Amino acid sequence: MIKLLHTADWQIGKLFGQFEPDDGALLAEARFKAVERLASLATENRVDLMLVAGDVFDAQGVADKTIHRLFHSMAGFEGPWILLPGNHDAALAESVWTRAVRLKAIPANVTVCLQPEPVLLESIGVAVLPAPLTQRHTYTDLTEWFASAETSDDMLRIGLAHGSVQGILAEDIDSPNPIAAGRAEQARLDYLALGDWHGTKQVDPRTWYSGTPETDRFRSNESGRALLVELSEPRAVPMVTPVATGQYRWHSEALALRVPSDVELALQKISAFGPADVVQLELSGQTDLDGYRRLCAAIEQARGKARSLLADLSALRLEPTAEDIDALKADGYLGEVIAELRASQDGADAEVAREALALLAGILDAQHAKAGGSL
Amino acid sequence: MRLSRIRIEQFKKFRQPIEIKDLEPGLNLFTGPNEAGKSTIVSAIRAAFLERHRSGSVDDLRPWGDTSASPTVELEFAIGDTHYRLLKSFLGKRRCELQIGTQRLDSAEAEDHLAELLGFRYAGRGASGSEHWGIPGLLWIQQGAGHDIRDSVTHAMDHLRTALNASLGEIASSGGDSVLATVEAARNELLTPSAGKPRGAYAEAIDQEAALANAIRELDSEIAAYRQKVDTLAALRREHAADEAEKPWIGFREQERAAAEKLEAIGRVEETLATEKLRATQVDERIRLLHGQLETFGRQEKELETREAERESIRQRLEGATALVEEWQSKRAEAEQRHEAARETLRLARQADTRLSLTRELDAGRLKLKNAAEALARAETEQAALVELKRQAAVTEIKLKDLELLRDQHRQIRETRIRLAAAATRLRFAIEDGRSIGIGAESVTGKGERLLLETTTLTLPGLGQLEIAPGGSDLSQLRAEAKELADRHETLLQRLGLPSLEAAEVRHQTHTRQLAEIKTAEATLKALAPQGIEPLRTELAIQQARVEEIEQALSQLPPNTPHAAAFPSVAEAEAAEEAARQSLARINDSLHQAQLAAGKEQTAFETATRELAAARAVIDDPQRPERVAAANRDLVDARAEQSTLAARIEALTRQLAEARPDILKQDIERFRLSAEQLEKRFNERRDQLMSLQVELQTTGAQGLEERRAELARDHAQIQRRVEELHRRAAALDLLLKLLRDKRRALTQRLQAPLQKHLNRYLQLLFPGASLDIDENLSPRSLTRNGSSGTELGDFEDLSFGAREQMGIISRLAYAGLLREAGRPTLLILDDTLVHSDEERLAQMKRVLFDAATRHQILLFTCHPAKWRDLGVGARSLEAIRAEA
Repeated sequence: MIKLLHTADWQIGKLFGQFEPDDGALLAEARFKAVERLASLATENRVDLMLVAGDVFDAQGVADKTIHRLFHSMAGFEGPWILLPGNHDAALAESVWTRAVRLKAIPANVTVCLQPEPVLLESIGVAVLPAPLTQRHTYTDLTEWFASAETSDDMLRIGLAHGSVQGILAEDIDSPNPIAAGRAEQARLDYLALGDWHGTKQVDPRTWYSGTPETDRFRSNESGRALLVELSEPRAVPMVTPVATGQYRWHSEALALRVPSDVELALQKISAFGPADVVQLELSGQTDLDGYRRLCAAIEQARGKARSLLADLSALRLEPTAEDIDALKADGYLGEVIAELRASQDGADAEVAREALALLAGILDAQHAKAGGSL
Repeated sequence: MRLSRIRIEQFKKFRQPIEIKDLEPGLNLFTGPNEAGKSTIVSAIRAAFLERHRSGSVDDLRPWGDTSASPTVELEFAIGDTHYRLLKSFLGKRRCELQIGTQRLDSAEAEDHLAELLGFRYAGRGASGSEHWGIPGLLWIQQGAGHDIRDSVTHAMDHLRTALNASLGEIASSGGDSVLATVEAARNELLTPSAGKPRGAYAEAIDQEAALANAIRELDSEIAAYRQKVDTLAALRREHAADEAEKPWIGFREQERAAAEKLEAIGRVEETLATEKLRATQVDERIRLLHGQLETFGRQEKELETREAERESIRQRLEGATALVEEWQSKRAEAEQRHEAARETLRLARQADTRLSLTRELDAGRLKLKNAAEALARAETEQAALVELKRQAAVTEIKLKDLELLRDQHRQIRETRIRLAAAATRLRFAIEDGRSIGIGAESVTGKGERLLLETTTLTLPGLGQLEIAPGGSDLSQLRAEAKELADRHETLLQRLGLPSLEAAEVRHQTHTRQLAEIKTAEATLKALAPQGIEPLRTELAIQQARVEEIEQALSQLPPNTPHAAAFPSVAEAEAAEEAARQSLARINDSLHQAQLAAGKEQTAFETATRELAAARAVIDDPQRPERVAAANRDLVDARAEQSTLAARIEALTRQLAEARPDILKQDIERFRLSAEQLEKRFNERRDQLMSLQVELQTTGAQGLEERRAELARDHAQIQRRVEELHRRAAALDLLLKLLRDKRRALTQRLQAPLQKHLNRYLQLLFPGASLDIDENLSPRSLTRNGSSGTELGDFEDLSFGAREQMGIISRLAYAGLLREAGRPTLLILDDTLVHSDEERLAQMKRVLFDAATRHQILLFTCHPAKWRDLGVGARSLEAIRAEA
């Protein structure tokens, strides 16, 4: 029986500008940590082989330091690693791989498949058929040759490819790097390890996307995993177990505030975020000034607790109540300004009006606080 | 407030006290010329209220030059029902008393009460300034300051505000202005105050964003270039591998070699052709030479014949010429004889002719000689006669002038005598016979008459003497004249050698006749010898010599021959001689010609003979026939060779044309170049590959894309910041705008009461116009109906006159506002509205009259005429002073 760990889309070198600098740095760092975890996971599970189905690097032009760092991160597993170039790190005439070779960064137990030719691992009886990308975009199916590749009958045939399996998602039609559906069956593969999709997905009993081991975007279901694959013998159906590897959970929360109790729910949700959460929060609907203040305060608190929090309040409408305005002591023309801003939230510059209203409320609060007011 | 009495003493213009009583509750018009003290009164009222009586800075209140004076002002006025009396002295005796009804206040207490009452402040130190004046500063318009209202309003602002709020009874906003200030400050941190352009942190973020975007763009193009090079590298590698496997240049080298061999074979053919062509040229040349040789032989024979014929013809011509010479020689002998005879005849004819002409000449000469002798003789006779005549004439000559003088003298003498006779005493006597008397020395008898010209003594014998003295004064002068004339006459006659005038006349006539004779004689002589006698003598001598010469010539001639008459005339003989001579000359010429021709023919004949001999010698060469035969043989052989060669050359040329060696050469070059190019390209590509690889390795090590990712990260962050700041700036901007708008709207509402007063007066001046008040309660802009529709003008942009009018209207409005708020109002206008035209001034008078129904107004002017229709009596300052 052969045990292997299937992973892909490490995207080493990816940075996260959408977050605060400190958060972004930690998220970038987390990608190396994921590789370290994969290595120790493999060691723990005594796997025979590690397959990485493309996009090891996020770009060709990463720094030398990054290359070295990656291969060091892999040191935790001493068994064989088979790495496949994907569309981000294609095996071009001059590529991150040729540099890695020149830098002598690649350890002996790591094989990078730069050519579409079988990698035979006699000791464990495995023939890996790789389909490396040698151009940035390919519009032909690079796994074509798998079927014609002859391997010894007593060896497991394992395909390794990076691209979109045709016919699963409508938007993948005509996408670059296509892979024909049913390739595993057609090429008599025991298992086809795929990369490119960042979420874990089973295509057919022998064909899986492992997804990225560390989530890197909000819109990625089932990511932050690797696949533990057990193959008892040639032609047997593989046993595939997803294993969580990700450090951070990426949430995209859209909260609509319609009734006062919605504010409470939102507050609960916000306060529940922990250090492993990377959150994108979109608030819509309406709230009074009190609710707004509490939400803002909760978001500020959550920022300190969660790994990272992006809050978008642009769709939120402020509806100060009579009590609010009384509390603000906004008499005279200030009252008129507040009324007008409140009404403007329906207009073209709704966001500016809301912001202005919030600002005004803040200034008044601050003044009252200074004057020893009740708020 | 109503001022009822003013008393001023030792104050500026007024050293003596002056008092103005019974001031009207409404309008009070004070008139007076410049320097009359109008401003002093205003100054006194101001000082009484606005200056501390203890102030040391009011020296200017003293009359000029009076350092000990204590300027004093006393005022009585009423506010509501309360009566006030204020007495204030400065400098010398400092004093302040305020009587309020029954209450009395002194010094500072009194002053503070007034300040509170009227709404002004005192200066802490020194003289009071406009900033202290408050309401009086606004309502008491100083000379020439009517238009300048903004500062006055500012200084009275608190009072006006209070008045407004009191009237409105409402608070604007408790914290509004502080919020506005906070918002404005926050907004101006991000945006420039006026233009609303980003500034500070916002601008910095925008700049950073742009810089990062730019850096990313640059890096993108670098990355694109890098990727392009990677692709190039791949392509080059493919090509290189293909070439390395194929080595296409080897095939071309083979082709080049084959073509070269073909070209070499063709080269040999070319050589043969060249040789044959050379041989053919040589044969052609030989044929040409042989032809030439044969032609020469033919020519030699022909020449011999020609020479013989020519010599014969010359010989015949020589004979003819010789015969002609002889003929001409005989003709010449004849002609010579004829010529000799003609010459002899001519000589004789000439001799005879000479003799004849000489004889004739001699006769003529002799005649001329005789004539000349006669002419000379006649002329000499005549000459002698003329000389005699001239001599006689010289004797009888009397000058006509002298003659006339004589005549004149004679006439005068006569006249004098007549006058004497007339003047003289006529003494007629008739003496008895026998008796005589002496008259003077004369003794007279008988009858007679004497003219006595001088005292004459008559001797009467026997009786004595009578002396008669003729009367008349001029008698003696006449007598003297007569005597003198007679003397002169006598002298002249003596000089002329004549006895009397008559003799002179005779001589004159004689002389005239002789002159005529001389003339005649001279004419005769002139006819005989026009040139004088001497030419005649010369002529005679010449003729004499000539006759002798001819006679000698004749004597020298040979003796006359008897048959002289047989000779022809000289002309004929000369013609005959000339004809003979010419004939001889012609014959001589012809002979000479004939001799020359014969000589030429002789020479030609000799030459022809020599040439003939030479030609014959050539023909007669014994080897010549053999040489002719050999030449003919050689020619036949050469022609045969020529045709053989032509056939061979044609064959070879065709062969060459078919092989196209030029194209073959091009093929070789083409194949060679192709091989070279391919090989060169191969090598170049190898080098290119190496250098590109090195370059890519270097560039790749820079981690371009990772750097780009970093920049993109930073860019995204700064972009977020820009957006945040933008949102904040927009929100603050909106907030500020709203706050200001609302505040302005509120201010306008608050200002409504003031606006009401303003409108009341403004409508009188500009119907339908409106004066806008700004936040500081100052007039801001005037909207009115002009000729071209509604006109909006900034207050500060109005004309001086209009600003002054608006200033006064505004002040009246403030007064109205203050009055409603229960403040005392007094308006003082010191010489204002001097810049208004008739029409505006008329309207302003209506305004003032209206205002005076509510406020007391003191109006000072130096133009009483302009204010006559104000509806109040003017009070002249002079009159007031006079009263005092």
